[in-house]
Amino acid sequence: MTRQFKWDSGIGLLGLLLLFAGSYIGLFVAPAERYMGEVQRIMYVHVPSAWNAMLCYTLAFIFAIVSLWTHRPKWDAMTTAAVEMGIVLNALLLVQGSIWARATWGVWWDWDVRLTTSLILVLLFAGVLTLRSFVLDTGRRATWTAIATIVAFVDVPLVYFCVRWWRSLHQVQSTPDTVAPMMVVPLRINAFAILFIAIWMMAQRTRLELERRRQDEVAQPERLAPMGGSTHE
Amino acid sequence: MNLIRQALTVVRKDLLLEWRGKGRLISVLLFGVVTLLLFSFAVGPDSTLLRAAAGGFLVLALLLSSTLGLSESFRVEQEQRAIEGLLLLPVDPIALYYGKTLSNTLFLMLLAPILTPVALILYSVELDLEGLAVLFGLWTLAAAGLSAPGTLYAAMTSRLQSQDVLLPLLLFPLVIPVLMGAVKSITLILTGDPMSQVGSWAMLLASFAIIYWSLCGLLFPHAIEEGI
Amino acid sequence: MSPSAADSTTPAIQTAGLGKRFGRQWALAHCDLQVRTGEVVLLAGANGSGKTTLLRLIAGLDKPTLGSMTIYGMDPAQEKLACRRTLTLVGHDNYLYSQLTALEMIQVWTRLRGAELAETEAIELLREVDLDERRDTPVGGFSAGMRKRLTLLRTRLEEPKLVLLDEPFSALDASGQRLIEEWIEGYRSAGKTVVLASHNLPRSSRLCDRAILLHQGQILWQGSGKDLLDRVGTTV
Repeated sequence: MTRQFKWDSGIGLLGLLLLFAGSYIGLFVAPAERYMGEVQRIMYVHVPSAWNAMLCYTLAFIFAIVSLWTHRPKWDAMTTAAVEMGIVLNALLLVQGSIWARATWGVWWDWDVRLTTSLILVLLFAGVLTLRSFVLDTGRRATWTAIATIVAFVDVPLVYFCVRWWRSLHQVQSTPDTVAPMMVVPLRINAFAILFIAIWMMAQRTRLELERRRQDEVAQPERLAPMGGSTHE
Repeated sequence: MNLIRQALTVVRKDLLLEWRGKGRLISVLLFGVVTLLLFSFAVGPDSTLLRAAAGGFLVLALLLSSTLGLSESFRVEQEQRAIEGLLLLPVDPIALYYGKTLSNTLFLMLLAPILTPVALILYSVELDLEGLAVLFGLWTLAAAGLSAPGTLYAAMTSRLQSQDVLLPLLLFPLVIPVLMGAVKSITLILTGDPMSQVGSWAMLLASFAIIYWSLCGLLFPHAIEEGI
Repeated sequence: MSPSAADSTTPAIQTAGLGKRFGRQWALAHCDLQVRTGEVVLLAGANGSGKTTLLRLIAGLDKPTLGSMTIYGMDPAQEKLACRRTLTLVGHDNYLYSQLTALEMIQVWTRLRGAELAETEAIELLREVDLDERRDTPVGGFSAGMRKRLTLLRTRLEEPKLVLLDEPFSALDASGQRLIEEWIEGYRSAGKTVVLASHNLPRSSRLCDRAILLHQGQILWQGSGKDLLDRVGTTV
């Protein structure tokens, strides 16, 4: 069996190269942050993970709407891929956030707005995949995945603002223009790196899901010869 | 209008069922009371701590009881596939959704008159009549917020195995805004609201309810189109 | 009724290449069925031959995997409620709430169909199936046959043009079966269309204008009820 070179493998490769470059600049070229020191360098993966996780959830929401509208297997597979990718990045985000919290505040967990929100989001979207895994009928599975994804995504801003009010003290989001230019570069590079890797993985996952679905499908049985007037069974 | 008439008939039918099977309401109520009791054991007999946490415990008791009520409301529909019988009549799926959601909201509201006094007594909190009225208003908003996605998910999981696990798993993370809003505002009612923040939390509860009443009403017909 | 529900030459049911797959199993395949308005059609076949699946697809309770169909000229995918309004199905389930009484069940059903039924009329209906004496008993205490009779009353509530019956004779005693037979005769003379699936061939083959034999989800044979009886004996 010959492996075809797919368009997304190129993007994945590009993403990996960019990730190396961005992380190299982030770790060795960019200056250490004045107050937080070397720990701050985790930002070069942390912030891009966050951006891309949100992007994946947003894509999942859009795909889910299209899937509900068209009932095409392709969109269902893409919804699932995007939700899963979002969860993976979101989980990475939690781990990185936890390390950050440990280094800066001395605790593994902090009820910081963004950290708390991302914990809730992981659970929210994990629920979608759990529901999906319980539904056997393919048509129903697609519809229900789409519905659960839409319901979960609409909750995202509500959760965010809610947690913000609930815990209305914490450092303001640092925007790239308050930091040195050499810090912005690796951040931007890694943002695209993770985006490309995510696209690559989502494309692979979509293909896998469609393949699984194809294997579940059975062709209609041959048409039976109608019983004639005189022939007997 | 036909849609409203159908929805109200569904509500009427559900209330009648509720009344006939009083056992269900009583057991859910008892469950709520038991959770309230258990929370006080978790904290210990420290009355200051208990008083501070009273609002939170009360809302948690509502949340935990809600999944029992919600899954039960579709168990009666699935027992002899009555829900299919309704759809065949035909009941408009939108009327069915709003009827079920409204009756679930009413059911959750019925928990307030029992759970609130129990919580007030157990956690030794005092509340005047005005406070009680506001608390009941907030409770209603929370009940409406819980019922909207709760009814959709209870319907979707009603024929799946392990609904008992799946429904809370789907619902609890989703209704965290309701939980936070209700806990914060009810705690403010119980312990005093110097900065008058209750209003904004009530707004949050109301927005959640409005958003999900509209969204789930749109999605429910799609959910049952695939067979339920 | 919908404007597209045209004259009496429109077939009551028309399916083309209808197929339904559950998991890896095709419950129904290559189903091209045409039922004329006013016809009484019997679906016969062994267990698992696709009778129930076909009835559920026609009623719009399940979505077909393949193919298309029209009900009195309407596409159920487009006009689901209008289609459902023209038909009624009594399947294997009884659609009852155990805690409600027989009278309340009838009233809930009528009201949800958008009609109002006076109590005397409801009792009159219950008398038809011999349940008027038990009208205030919760149906949870009914026997299987009594529940079936009550559920079969759904076909008489309002005026559906298409009556779908899945095993209408099961669980019924001789008098109950005779009653359903009379009802079906009545529907025929009222110009309604009836599709019934039954294992009770002696009774149902006598009733029907046309019999269809299903085998492994496909239409194997069509003919008169008498021919079916000659062909397959008394039971399928």
